[in-house]
Amino acid sequence: MSRTGGTGLEAPATKRAKHTGKKHGLWPRSWMQMLRRVSQALFLGWFLGLLFAARELNAGDAERFDHFFFQIDPLIQIFTWFSARTLATFSLLAVGTLLVTVLLGRVFCGWMCPLGTLHHFFGWLGTRFRRPKDRLRAAAWTRAQNFKYFLLAALLVMALFGAHWIGIFDPISLLQRTFGTAVLPALQYALEDSSTAVYQADPQVGPLHATLLTEPAYQFTRDHVFTKARKAFLGGVTIFAVFLGILGLNFFRNRFWCRYICPTGALLGLFSRRPALRLKNDASACKQCDGCLLVCPAGAEPHHPGKYLPTECYACWNCVAACKFETIKFKFARPLRRTTEAKLDAKRRSVVTAAAAGVVGFLLLRVSPQAQGKTYNPVLIRPPGALPEREFLQRCLQCGLCMDVCPTNALHPAWTQAGLEGLWTPVLVPQHGFCEYACNLCGKVCPTQAIQALPMPEKKKVKIGMATFDTTRCLPYAYGRSCIVCEEHCPIPTKAIYFVETEVTLRDGAKPVLKQPRVDAELCIGCGICENKCVFEDRAAVRITSANETRHPQNQPILAGGAFSSVVADSYAP
Amino acid sequence: MTKGNDFMQHQTRRDFLGDSAKVCGAVSLGALTERGTAQAVPPAMSICRWGGVAEGADAVKTIATRLTEEAVKAVGGMASYVRQGDVVWIKPNIGWNRTPEQAANTNPDVVATLVRLCLEAGAKQVKVGDRPCHPADEAYKNSGIEAAARAAGAEVVLVDENRFRDTALGGERLKNWLLYPEIFESDVIIDVPIVKHHSLATATMCMKNLMGVAGGNRGQLHQDLPNCLADLTMFLKPKLCVLDAVRVMTAHGPVGGSLDDVKQLNVIAAGRDIVALDAFGAALLGHDPTQIETVKRGHERGLGEIDYKKIVPNEMSVT
Repeated sequence: MSRTGGTGLEAPATKRAKHTGKKHGLWPRSWMQMLRRVSQALFLGWFLGLLFAARELNAGDAERFDHFFFQIDPLIQIFTWFSARTLATFSLLAVGTLLVTVLLGRVFCGWMCPLGTLHHFFGWLGTRFRRPKDRLRAAAWTRAQNFKYFLLAALLVMALFGAHWIGIFDPISLLQRTFGTAVLPALQYALEDSSTAVYQADPQVGPLHATLLTEPAYQFTRDHVFTKARKAFLGGVTIFAVFLGILGLNFFRNRFWCRYICPTGALLGLFSRRPALRLKNDASACKQCDGCLLVCPAGAEPHHPGKYLPTECYACWNCVAACKFETIKFKFARPLRRTTEAKLDAKRRSVVTAAAAGVVGFLLLRVSPQAQGKTYNPVLIRPPGALPEREFLQRCLQCGLCMDVCPTNALHPAWTQAGLEGLWTPVLVPQHGFCEYACNLCGKVCPTQAIQALPMPEKKKVKIGMATFDTTRCLPYAYGRSCIVCEEHCPIPTKAIYFVETEVTLRDGAKPVLKQPRVDAELCIGCGICENKCVFEDRAAVRITSANETRHPQNQPILAGGAFSSVVADSYAP
Repeated sequence: MTKGNDFMQHQTRRDFLGDSAKVCGAVSLGALTERGTAQAVPPAMSICRWGGVAEGADAVKTIATRLTEEAVKAVGGMASYVRQGDVVWIKPNIGWNRTPEQAANTNPDVVATLVRLCLEAGAKQVKVGDRPCHPADEAYKNSGIEAAARAAGAEVVLVDENRFRDTALGGERLKNWLLYPEIFESDVIIDVPIVKHHSLATATMCMKNLMGVAGGNRGQLHQDLPNCLADLTMFLKPKLCVLDAVRVMTAHGPVGGSLDDVKQLNVIAAGRDIVALDAFGAALLGHDPTQIETVKRGHERGLGEIDYKKIVPNEMSVT
């Protein structure tokens, strides 16, 4: 590291030395930067590894999924504890993260967070695209960086009221949801569709075929990288768009999301007001060249001796590496010791405003009748083992892990079905997939047990809804044709769909006897395979609604018990 | 590729002769038998019943393996059906995420034994696969077929939803349908169903098992199951059918789930006459084959003999 900076030192004419204006390149300029990048790569790799591992799970796997990233995330752990008012899902690893933060500052953001790593990369890319004259302005701290604390406070107030909306903003949840329901399915689609196009276009003449290359490659990715049956998610577009949006904001300000929005960063910022690891800028030696400012992705003000902001700093070491005069260094101090450094701007007025915003946000989520528990949405079918709606929402992180592991692509991120509070929470859409009878994966992977991990015999008894026949569409009722597809697929060992043989009159006067299906409400668990396999692809003639769901006694119209036998009379007959 | 050529011939003859079902049936029956008859014609059907003693954890495995071996031997041995260098597709029922004990899928040891016999007969490659109704990963794994077939030397193929091809069947009901090319382009198709109850067809066996080659919204086919199955059978022309009745599902099929609906009969039948085999399977479940529409239509379309006793099956007790 020979940076004894000849020219800069010998330019005393002006007080302020001019920074070189050079773009900072791809190659790290210090060992600490290198180490940080290795750490970032490892954690991102680990995150992706777990993501792919989840997609490979199948129902035979008894062991719980590894929730490492959810467990080290203090926002998830603490806020879920507050909103669900239970420590049941609390992980002590999050306390570890907080202790590390008290000692070392926001190293979680700078060295570990997988979303932070992506932002770091795109932020660097954004800097390279930025005009030199804009670079200093874009790198400087602005008051808007306090917005994230504002958001954190509002979310805290909401959580204390029992509204759990952190999953929308939490970086781990956000990345898990985005990769699981949008990025990976899109990638798989691209590979699958292009190889299918080659497969179909290949004329199969002569010994050499393009498919000799594309088919093994396609099959390898299908069997070992992605899922065998490709998934596509309702609402994946919005999730993808949000992700692209926040990545794009890096071209406006470096690590925009982390600097201005991320509530996890804000929480860690609160814990790093007086960390042990502090940046020291020697005021007497600093030439004020602003070289450190140019490379700071955090707006942590390394260039103002005495005004450095530890709450914003990711300890990324860019500034130390960039300083030509070696006046900036990280040094250890006694933690919690007061400093002269600028504090987080937390005036009483801001705190009160944030709290008020939290109350308003909470009310906004609870305005609708459904949110107040007055009505039940027929299409709001939750995965088996989901807690009653209010408790479910108090825990669900909208992370999409359940959607990722669901083998039939039945679970989708809700858009409007669950109200604003339930945005991107899992909802089962039978048109796209059914709840596989011998599968309890969603409960096994849920990081907060919003979906309970039920043993298989219990899971098979849980009702998530009930089937209803649309006799204006169902073939043996409406079109005089035989069809037993729903009954055939019904997984209940004694069949929840049964037949009543009925004579129907056709247009030509013929009177065939057809098997008309009915639902046995006692047996039907609402798995949705009947709706999924119905010959009607647009709107099935048998559909599941949330009625009879085990988790809501108020939503069970059918009085249980053997005193009443199911209807066999021809009340359906035209 | 011989199958494809036969199919083309079949098409032109069919066009030439017009839409007569009877003539068409006769022609296809000719096509069915003309290649299997190299030397003396072996029996068209065999029925093997277990008459021995098998105990312990491997009892069913022993029974299934022995019955399969003998049933195939009794119809001329695998060499009568598989030639040196053939690519064979074994088509079991792997429709459901169910265990072998639940008798919703073909017995894995029957499949494994067939794989071994094919390889012994000189097959270049033996592929095993089906298009399941349940998630493929789960069904392949929990049916036990994936592991057993792979151990016996087969390539277990995932029937990929993206590789079905719109195929001209030229059937009476099915003119075109999405079929899996890798299956019908194989030199030999061996159809290995399990005998089960089915609410529409009453019983599901060899002909119904061929539905697994069809893609798309095949629920539609149930609106005229007898003709659709006859069309599929005529197009696919399985060279050998092996009917697994080691365990049968007597009610709540074809998914089942309850062991109360499973009966262990210890029977395997094999042969070339798909209708006779289906008739026999129906009789095993206690039905009159002439009352079962799919079997009846198969007979009427000339795919085989509904009165299986008429073709004098090679019956034997196996120990």
